[in-house]
Amino acid sequence: MTPARLILALAGLLLPAVAFAQNPYRLKPGATGKVCLDCHTELEDQMALPSVHTPVRSGQCSDCHNPHASSHGQLLAADGDSICTDCHAGLIPAGSLSVHQAAIEGGCVACHDPHAAANANVLTTTGSELCFSCHESMAQQLEGQEFQHSPVRQSCTTCHDPHASTASDFLLKKPTGGLCADCHDPARASFAQSHMGYPVGSSRCTSCHDPHGSNTSGILLAEVHEPITRKMCNQCHAPSSASDALALKRTGQALCRGCHSEVVNQALARDRIHWPVADASGCLTCHNPHASTEKGLLVEPTTLLCGECHAAALDQLASAATRHGPVADGDCSACHEPHAADNVFLLATADVATLCGECHDWGAHSSHPLGPEVVDQRNPNLTVDCLSCHRPHGSAHKALAHLDPGGPLCVQCHEQMSR
Amino acid sequence: MTNPAFRVATGVLAALLAAAPAAAQEVRLRPAGAIYLDARGSGLKAPEGVDSDGRSLLIVADTGNRRLLRYELVSGRLAPTGEIRLPQLPYPTQVRLDPSGQILALDGRSHRIVRVGPNGEFRGLVELDAGDRGEVLVKGFEVDDEGQLYVLDAAGARILVFGSGGGLRRQIAFPAEVGFVSDLAVDSAGMVFAVDSVRRRVLAARTDEETLVPLAGGLAADSAFPTAIVADRLGRLFLADQGGGGILILERSGALLSRQSAMGWKEGYLRHPSGLSAVDGQLFVADRGNNRIQVFSIVD
Repeated sequence: MTPARLILALAGLLLPAVAFAQNPYRLKPGATGKVCLDCHTELEDQMALPSVHTPVRSGQCSDCHNPHASSHGQLLAADGDSICTDCHAGLIPAGSLSVHQAAIEGGCVACHDPHAAANANVLTTTGSELCFSCHESMAQQLEGQEFQHSPVRQSCTTCHDPHASTASDFLLKKPTGGLCADCHDPARASFAQSHMGYPVGSSRCTSCHDPHGSNTSGILLAEVHEPITRKMCNQCHAPSSASDALALKRTGQALCRGCHSEVVNQALARDRIHWPVADASGCLTCHNPHASTEKGLLVEPTTLLCGECHAAALDQLASAATRHGPVADGDCSACHEPHAADNVFLLATADVATLCGECHDWGAHSSHPLGPEVVDQRNPNLTVDCLSCHRPHGSAHKALAHLDPGGPLCVQCHEQMSR
Repeated sequence: MTNPAFRVATGVLAALLAAAPAAAQEVRLRPAGAIYLDARGSGLKAPEGVDSDGRSLLIVADTGNRRLLRYELVSGRLAPTGEIRLPQLPYPTQVRLDPSGQILALDGRSHRIVRVGPNGEFRGLVELDAGDRGEVLVKGFEVDDEGQLYVLDAAGARILVFGSGGGLRRQIAFPAEVGFVSDLAVDSAGMVFAVDSVRRRVLAARTDEETLVPLAGGLAADSAFPTAIVADRLGRLFLADQGGGGILILERSGALLSRQSAMGWKEGYLRHPSGLSAVDGQLFVADRGNNRIQVFSIVD
């Protein structure tokens, strides 16, 4: 057999396999979408819409549906997630820094109609309204805001990739500096003027600005550091004319001490300091030096902020049956001083019972002996206070008890009562 | 350094460590007594530091009472022999004995190291000239057998090593990815270890390395907030899990050998352990939340 004949013979063997792949249900010639539409007449109107899904338009209903039977709803040939990615692979590139939750969970139909739609890309709605159908809090936040970033009302996809981003978190198409510069040219005189001549073109704009909107001119975040409002960047940074204009004049708490000397000096004079105050990052560990949505210019809400370092404490709370109110409310500073204190755990008072007594009238709810004269039966060097029985953050037991109050908690001390 | 008589023998303890895991207990801690009182019968209060010379002397940083306490071996038992109160040391949080018998104590308020003579006399503040303009803020320190002083400088994000004469010999930088480094240790081979409490892992630097490197295997699954670390003569590392109430024992490679003790009030248990000293087969733990020094025998 000549090589040419051998190739022809092999091709002949492969042809049926190719034909099966193209027509897995062995439909008769011409028996494609037209056959389906004989019964599914409701689709005819959709076929007339401006945007029709390619398999629908080409009559390849069996690309997605099994004409006979299926383990999935709508007679889908596979689960909704994998059916879409069979054709639309690459929408979530490897190494993506952020991925739309809907895309991860196979919720393509949350945004796209699988057959046809009046909008491009078979989107069920246009512009930001589509996004706000899930991101309701964003829509609520924008309501009534005096200054809104105009792209937010037009289309979120101006800044966000709806599927995934390999460039940034929050599905941003680029890191913030470069992304903003696409519209807000740093080379323009007005840009330089509004930023006091500082070269912030590649900086993280969201350090000061709310990218969606705010009630402050310049869509600045709600809480603004006073030097910013007074346009006195050089209080912390080198002069704008310097070659390293964004360099800080000092590092750590020494930078902030110039203005906030009272706070820093008081902290450094206490017995115990919250170490981030004194470490290399200093105050900036917890505070944003420019602006913030949080009071006190905190970089994020208190519970999240404290949890950045004290993660284990929060992990325990996740499974706790009872939680201390201030913890549940994210008010760690109800009991702890954030900068420094003279007591362990940076507690506001030396005596635990006094601290608890600020909220709890413990004398009214318990007749258990308590105080500096009552020795803890488990340890001769301890006296009984609230923490002898209760945990301060959360517990697997009722009433924030260390152990089950119906058994092992009490008999730790009252051993004669043990059964 | 070895003296078999230097064993705290305060009787058999009822509370054995039932909560410790049964597996991987190649090295265990057996409760061997506890120290509660000073020479006048007053109780310790929130002690955070402890060290022993391995022969006859134990020093305690009785932090809550703002003093140092001395204990000496008398007739096979540790007996309190006096207190040291110094205006330059209003809040002692860590203590170490150097090879000459001098006491070095860290003042938690000023973040400076104070030199104290064997009889309790103030000998001055340790001058820490890092050779740059950066302020040195001491979070912890250690002394090796040659009298070299290893200083954990929180403000500079580094460890400074000073010779016994005081000159700066070496700087070891924190890694770029670091949470908060709470304490450091040095083993007999000169390897430096540090504990990152936030990322719950041990960092280390050999004698020729300029940056701390994370040891293999983190401790997130076995600890809540480890804050103190010490190395023993055999190169094992002991970490106090202040947040979880327990002691972690690691090989110098970072491999976890076992977790010992658990949170509790009775002897053998720990509440917010804060300081460690591992000498001659014994581990002394400044058991801050229990107002005592808990002593363990290290059992192989």
